[in-house]
Amino acid sequence: MRFITIDITKCVVCHNCEYACSFQQTGDFKKADSNICVAYYDDIKICLPQTCMHCEDAWCMEICPAAAISKNETTGAIEIDSDRCVGCKMCILACPFGNIHFDKSNLVSRKCNLCKGEPQCVSACISGALQYVTAGDSCQNNREIFQRFIDAIPII
Amino acid sequence: MGQSTGKKQHYKSMCRMCNDHCGINVYVENGRIVDITGLKEHKWNHGRLCGKARLGVDLVNAPDRLRKPLKRVGNQWQEIDLDQAYDEIAERIKQIQQQWGHRAMGVWKGEAVGFLTQEELARRFAHAIGTPNYFSNDSQCYVGRWIGYALVSGTWAEPDFANSKCTVIWGSNPPYAHPNMTQSILQGRKKGGKLIVIDVRLSAIARQADDFIQILPGTDGALALGLARQLIHDNLISHEFIKNHTHGFEAYAGYVEAFTPERVEKETGIPAEKVVDIARKIGNARPKVCIYVGNGLEHHENGINNVRAIACLDGLLGSLDEEGGGFIPEKIPLRSLTLYDEKPLQHLDPIGADKFPVLYDFRKECHTMTAMDTILTQKPYPLKGMILTGANPALTNPNSQKVMKALKALDLFVVRELFMTETAELADYVLPAATYLEHSELHCYPISQSICLSPEIVTFPECDYDYMFWKKLAHRLGASDYFPWEDEDELNRWILKDTGITIETLLDHPEGFEYTPRHFHKNKEIKFNTPSGKFEFVSDYLKSYGYPHAPAYIPPTYMTDPNPEYPYVLVTGARKLLYCHGRNHNFKRCRTAVPNPEIEMHPDDAEQLGVNTGDVVTVTSVVGSVDIPVTVVPPSHILPGVTQITHGWKESNVNLITHDDRNDPIDGFPLMKSLEVKIQRKNQVENP
Repeated sequence: MRFITIDITKCVVCHNCEYACSFQQTGDFKKADSNICVAYYDDIKICLPQTCMHCEDAWCMEICPAAAISKNETTGAIEIDSDRCVGCKMCILACPFGNIHFDKSNLVSRKCNLCKGEPQCVSACISGALQYVTAGDSCQNNREIFQRFIDAIPII
Repeated sequence: MGQSTGKKQHYKSMCRMCNDHCGINVYVENGRIVDITGLKEHKWNHGRLCGKARLGVDLVNAPDRLRKPLKRVGNQWQEIDLDQAYDEIAERIKQIQQQWGHRAMGVWKGEAVGFLTQEELARRFAHAIGTPNYFSNDSQCYVGRWIGYALVSGTWAEPDFANSKCTVIWGSNPPYAHPNMTQSILQGRKKGGKLIVIDVRLSAIARQADDFIQILPGTDGALALGLARQLIHDNLISHEFIKNHTHGFEAYAGYVEAFTPERVEKETGIPAEKVVDIARKIGNARPKVCIYVGNGLEHHENGINNVRAIACLDGLLGSLDEEGGGFIPEKIPLRSLTLYDEKPLQHLDPIGADKFPVLYDFRKECHTMTAMDTILTQKPYPLKGMILTGANPALTNPNSQKVMKALKALDLFVVRELFMTETAELADYVLPAATYLEHSELHCYPISQSICLSPEIVTFPECDYDYMFWKKLAHRLGASDYFPWEDEDELNRWILKDTGITIETLLDHPEGFEYTPRHFHKNKEIKFNTPSGKFEFVSDYLKSYGYPHAPAYIPPTYMTDPNPEYPYVLVTGARKLLYCHGRNHNFKRCRTAVPNPEIEMHPDDAEQLGVNTGDVVTVTSVVGSVDIPVTVVPPSHILPGVTQITHGWKESNVNLITHDDRNDPIDGFPLMKSLEVKIQRKNQVENP
């Protein structure tokens, strides 16, 4: 099972991921339709892409009264079935990270579904900030970064 | 050949929606291109693609694409048969050349349709029919930096960002301009390297910078010379490199001495202590320093010398040909299509070569801005006909009014294009062109020393590809000996002949075929490609033409001679995502994302002018004026008094107000990035 990791020291807020996601959803480049959202905080110089984390214990799924949210066993994605969604917005309230948004035209909730295992935001990430990896890959990567940090500490 | 997967055929090729040449998968269904995705195994982009790449599908299938040859009859377009169009055009070229001389014809190559071969074919055609007048956008873009670096080091080295300990991105915004550089720049930073961004605007790459240095437009040379002085004073220089491989160090060191941190502060607006700090960061990382200079350095009155001043830093740091510094690629022995040895034609006075000899010496490039004057004044000789392919100077050359007037004044103006552009509208004949997906071409990646072949994936009748276009015309003009190859395939095989690499090998290596492995430290054996064979801190060649010996700094006119009537400084040409110069504006999806042109403005200026985002202002220079909506940017994004307009929008064409006649004296580049303007709020009654 793979998931999308975000490296905020690589994101340059180019918005390519948002356009790629929007295109995947609707065939257009409308940022509001994107399930990934990138913010730049000018005062503290932080670049922050945010998208669904596909929680193991997904509160959105638990709270959905229409049973419209389920886990895709192949990709591990927590997905919304928009045919079942009644537009009650409970999932939006339940998500602690704000990663579900409301589609005002169709009156349903929308979120990332990992594009059937080929997340388009990652393919469009020209800086390499987004990666689609297994938990093991991610741990390994973090260990390497930590090791470089340790190596850089001068020996007294 | 493409591979079939179900109903779809799959091809591997290269993207040409900008000049980054990313590897792509192209999917075809029922003869129609339906999807483009990133080619994972490609050495350059590793499967990642920016939003422009898939616009290739929109491009090739665009409903407004030109599919038929058109001839102007009065004020109307009339569809004509392709062969008849070639016959008529050839006949008129013959008439012009008989009446006014061979050099009365010009050829203009644009960027919109192809890769590397297209340029050499256009050059070959011009000389084959006896005219030295080859034009392209290179007389106002890219080549200024190339010449600046070539004057100093004989080449423009490829930065090895991924292994750099300190990367300086100077006047460039890679995420929008060269998307793939972003990956390697941030890879270097992730490995512990520092990232310094020097720019007028807080660009996308500046958001990740360890140091963002906001500089006043056109003052970069002063900063570079100040950094050099500081490096020398702090002894953070490579004595070995300077001693063995450089020319003119003493004279250069003497020149930079005047650029104290305090003087630099006065010139550039950057605090003196910051200048010292940056110099030390760069110096301490030597030789693993990458300094990459972008288009922001061009389009100034002192552009070339500012670039030279920056290029000289590589010599102080000894970073050339070092891992993590500037990589000097080895060339692949491709056969050249140009005729500069067989038929140099320099005695026919290529347009602009007298005024800007350095541009011609280095690039064999005629000067497009001088060409407009030549057409209008017939001096020094008449220029009566032009064949232009895939370019839109009516929008992208400075002083658009003059450009349009000149192009309209031609006796014969032929445009080969994908769309009815502002330039095509002025033509006598418009021929439909083929996109990069409709023909086969070679391209090189110097950074990985590899070569690729893009295959022909689809074709449309009457949309001839570059080679066929030039060949058909040449055959009608008695120049068939120069275009003997049956088709592109034969041509590509001829170009590759001396390399020992076959077309078949390249088709087997869509990820890029490495023609020779990369290695550093070559300069220990080989000479720099300069007159002295060394890295030149000063140029005897430039001096021989009466230009400054050292990379002299001359402050921009808006500082030395401010005009109170035009109090704002306008920068043009910052790159935007999804658009590439004058292109992609006709795609609906791009309009959804970025619907309109804008003038970027500091909140203080907006307040003073009494405008908000969305309000329309009139921006006026000595050349003309343009109406454009305002975008008020956050205060850190741009300095008060400085504004920015991106080119390429016909609704608000900024080149209506840029200068074609204020040029860098060395390369002739026009003033487009530090020009004086006034800004007035447009009366709301006029613009409800």
